[in-house]
Parts: sequence; structure tokens; C-alpha cells
Amino acid sequence: MKLGDIVGGYRITTQPTNAGGGKCMWAFAEKDGERGGEEYFVKQFLAPKLPRPGGGGSERSRLARLRLCEEFEERHRSIMGRLKPDVHGAGHLVLATDFFAHGSTYYKVTARIDTSTLEKPQLLEPRHKAVLLKTLAVSLNLLHGIDIVHGDLKPANVLVQRYGGNSFHVAKLIDFDDSYLSGSPPGRDDIAGDSLYGAPEWRGYVQGDESVQPRQLTTAVDIFALGLMTHHYLTGSLPRYDDRFGSPADAVNARADLRLDPRLTDPMQNLLRRMLSRAPSSRPRASGVISALKDPNVCALQHRRPGTADGTSGSTSRGSTGSGRPDAAAAPRADGAPDGPPRTSRLRTNVPGPTRPRTTTDKPSAGPPAGDATRVSRVRINLGDRRGAGPRTKPTGTARPLDTRNDQEDTTT
Amino acid sequence: MNPAAAPYQGNLQYAVDIVLCIDATGSMNPVLGSVKESALTFQQRLEAVMRDKGKAISQLRVRTVAFRDFGDNEDDAIEQTGFLTLPEQAEEFRGFLGGIQARGGGDRPESGLEALALAVGSPWESGLDRRRHVIVMFTDAPAHPLGGPHSALQRYPAAVPRSADELFERWGYAGSQEAVMEQSAKRLVLFAPDEEPWNEMQEDWDMTLHFPSKAGHGLEEFEMDEIIDTIANSL
Repeated sequence: MKLGDIVGGYRITTQPTNAGGGKCMWAFAEKDGERGGEEYFVKQFLAPKLPRPGGGGSERSRLARLRLCEEFEERHRSIMGRLKPDVHGAGHLVLATDFFAHGSTYYKVTARIDTSTLEKPQLLEPRHKAVLLKTLAVSLNLLHGIDIVHGDLKPANVLVQRYGGNSFHVAKLIDFDDSYLSGSPPGRDDIAGDSLYGAPEWRGYVQGDESVQPRQLTTAVDIFALGLMTHHYLTGSLPRYDDRFGSPADAVNARADLRLDPRLTDPMQNLLRRMLSRAPSSRPRASGVISALKDPNVCALQHRRPGTADGTSGSTSRGSTGSGRPDAAAAPRADGAPDGPPRTSRLRTNVPGPTRPRTTTDKPSAGPPAGDATRVSRVRINLGDRRGAGPRTKPTGTARPLDTRNDQEDTTT
Repeated sequence: MNPAAAPYQGNLQYAVDIVLCIDATGSMNPVLGSVKESALTFQQRLEAVMRDKGKAISQLRVRTVAFRDFGDNEDDAIEQTGFLTLPEQAEEFRGFLGGIQARGGGDRPESGLEALALAVGSPWESGLDRRRHVIVMFTDAPAHPLGGPHSALQRYPAAVPRSADELFERWGYAGSQEAVMEQSAKRLVLFAPDEEPWNEMQEDWDMTLHFPSKAGHGLEEFEMDEIIDTIANSL
């Protein structure tokens, strides 16, 4: 994929890059012959590669690689088949509109989504924070309702988009390439995830802890990450933890404290304590999070007089009380007052995270993948008319319609 | 992190190994200094990015394989180090890089595939919890095919496979029995011209990123952002 190339009918209009992505290249594109038309985000997968004639390797390895490609395509179909654009909440999932092989390489296409990075979400009014968090929770609820774990939930995979004029911000969830069926994750060496937002059981699994079995990696993994992101969106920082730990999950696994911002309301602290529980079964479901956010006042930050019972930090567990991390996190102001309006700046687009979708229902299909050894292999997945789906979850307090371009679905795989 | 606080033993540990394959032939003269300078600041840049993300790397090692052309002079066709741990062995790393001079090369193709083969066969870290094994190729030239007359030279490395197919199998793919690198850890980043074998490699090798370069150009302002992205965004 190079600037000016036509890949699967899309003309690449920007220099391909891996910025923001660990296991892919990406670029923007337009449909060939439609200059000035709709723009697309094209993601190039680094693996697997369809064997080409004369492309190297033995016949045995060629067949093995063909099987990998079949499994890869099947994984995509499996996830895409489960993610329907017309179900409640799907409007905030950025789903793929196209998936195909061009030459030896697989590509995924979504609509280009221009959003603005919300630099200080903690300065939003409570009702605006509630909308932002609810749209994210609704997306997760949809995924979890069909037993899919996002698997790499982190701020980089959430695009915050202004919802009409100067009103609300909504969260758009992207990059399902590391998704898996609840209880059936990829292998310990292969599973994706973010070292900062990973759940305690995810870390144990990655570390080879035999007491953590695949079945224990469920949708609750996402809830832990959502808890951290909620704390971040509401206060501007993650919960604090002792310097000895590399992440919140490390601290939780050691049964040390995660210290919540004392300005958070009691209901929010209670919710976060549950979301950040060490035991996955103690965490609420996404639907429970949505319910807890019904009253936007739970998202408020409030002044608590130092020395009072309410003025102490909420903790998610008993144990040490270190100085806390992350050090770079903004220290909350004592009075809880905003230090300026929330700033929206720096154009941000749907830069992907790591790739590799996984499901355990993946079964090799019979026969080689379509298009083997052809320049443009039409293994394209027919997504039907996914473009008409608008978000089913709409922020309250505004009558402005959503920009339908930004609700164009599609799956990543 | 508070230096007084010993890290908790149960923290997730990340190991990053990088092998830099650097074309040190005469045509690289205009850009070799920039490549070396970027390599020397790489650790600090990577650490800064990771710190901004609230993350840390537990172990960082760098190996360098400088190459020229066995067909031109077999005695200086390969200069290399073992893995050097940073920052502890930064001076050794700096000293080696400082000693690389752009010279020779003979005809246009160079011995880049030999350097790549040596990189693939590196003694990669197999411990800690998660690993990233990254090979980075800097060259402005195509490469001689493996198995040619140069492979009969006395100084030609015995570890280099005798065919492109064999090298391909050593790189491997998911589930491969012949691969010598860990599939989930490996990455190949090519800063190489849009010519064979590099452009074909991008087509056939998985986990490979190709950023085309032109002879004598394209690496002057190189800052290793692409390499940092392959590491920092996947940990």
C-alpha cells in the first residue's frame, strides 16, 4: 500500500503510516473514481499473508499459510456476523464497511471519522460526562450482549466526538481486531491488551499463572478497563496506586489499594470499587454501569472538607497506602473547581490499535481462501447496507441530529 | 517512580530486543550519520513515549549488524555486536556505532540479506512476561540473492541460509515449526528502496513494515518514530 495506489477499489490518498498502531499500517482513501467523495480509513494487516506463486517457502508451508488465512477470514466473519448495525447502541461502534485481500495482504475499511481529542474531559459538566460515559457503556453493553470481549479497551480506542455544535460529546468505540468470545481468549502469548488498562486476570493469564484459565477472561475484562477510563474521564487521572506497581491491575493483584479521587460522589466511588474489583464476578455488567449513570449527578466532582470521613480517598482494597501513581497524572485541585473550560483540540482520526481478531468458534473452512494468488482477491465480506444505521442511543438534552457519516458502521473484524 | 520503592515482583515484565541492520557502504555516507544519531537517542525517545503512556520497559537490548558487500570485500562485509543492554552498555553501543564508516560496496546490490539472516538468528530474549523482537533494516540498495557465489567465500557466515526460501521459513508464520523467532513478538521494519528483495519481502513476509527509501535520500531526518510505534503501541 503506497500513496496513490488503488487497493481493492480504494485510492490511497495519504502516506501510509503505522502511527498509533502497533501491528498495522493505515492510510486514508477515497473510492477510485470518486474524487472529492466520501473518505475512508484503510487498515492494512501485517498478518497473515496469502501465499503468492513464487512467493517463497515450501509447499507444506504454503498450505499451512493458506489454512491460517482461512481461519483469519473466518474470525472476521464470525465477529462481523454477530455485530449487527441495526441493534440498540450500534451507532457508537465504528464497524468495518469492507474487508478484503489485495494481492497477499488483507485490508479493512471503515468510514473516516474525524473527531477531536477532548483534552480535559474532567472539566465537562456532570451531565456531559454522563453522556460521554453512557455512550461508551452502551457500546460495550452491545458487545457483551453478544458475548464479545473488546479485549483492548483504552482511551486510544475510543474516539470522542462532539455531538452537534457545542453540546455533548459522544464516545465512538473502535478497533475490534483483538476481540474474542467471552471465556475463550487467544493464547497466553498471543492475546492483545494494554499493560496499563489490563484487568488483573488478564495480567495473570499473560504471566502464565496457571490458576488463571481462559474461561476466566470474560467481558469483565472490559469492565475493569471501563472503570479506569471512567475515573480518568471524570477526574483527569487514573486511580492512584503505590509506586512499586507497574499498573492498577498489578496493585489489585497484590491486594493493594487503588485510591479513588475523593472528589468523586459516593455512588460513583461505589460503582468504581465494584468495576475495579479483583474478582471478575464482583464487577457489574455494562448494563449496570448504564443504570448507575442515569442520574448525571453521580458524575459530579464535589469538594470534601479535609479531615472528614468523606474527605478521605476511596480505596478498592485494603493494604498499603503509598504515594501513588501515575506520577504524570494531573493532581486534582483541592477545591475541585475547573481550571478552565474543557479544550477540544488537535484533530484526531480513527487510528487503529493492534490487530488480530480472535474467536474460539473459529474453524477452518473447507477449501482455500478465495482469491488465492490473484492480485485482488475478492474475499470481500458482504456487509449489506450498514450505512443507514444511526445511533440508537442519543444524548439527552439536545435535539440535534447525529452526523450520519459518523455512524456508518462497520466492523473491524 | 519513587527510586526508594523496589518494584513489586508480580508486575508484568516487558522485554524489548532490537537488531539494527545498517548498510555501511559508500552510498550511505550522506545519511549514515543521521541513522547513527537516531540510534543513539532511541532509548531516551522510547522511554519518554512509554512514560507518557504510563508504562515502562523492563529490559531493553540492542544489537547492531553493519553490512557492506561480500563481493567487494569479504573482510569488512559484516561488523556486528551481540545484544547490548541499555542503558548499562550505552557506551559500548555508542563506541561501536561511532566506528562504523561508510565505505566500499562495489556494485549496487549489497549484502543486506546476509545481515538480515544474522539478525533473524539472534539470541532473542525468551524470558520475562512479554517480548518484542524488532529487526530494523536501513539501506538504500537492493540485495544480492542468497546462495550466490559469495556464499563460497571463506569469511561468509555459516549461519546464513543458502536460499531465500530457507530464510523465509526461518522468519516463519503463525504455527510454523521452522521459525526461529517468536511469532507474537517479531516485527521487521524495512527502511529500504522499493526494489527487490525488499518490496517482495513486504508482500510475502508477515509482521513486516516497509518504508521505501531512495538512494542517498530519505533517512536524513529519520527519527525512529515508526520503530517506536511498533513497540509502544503494542505493549
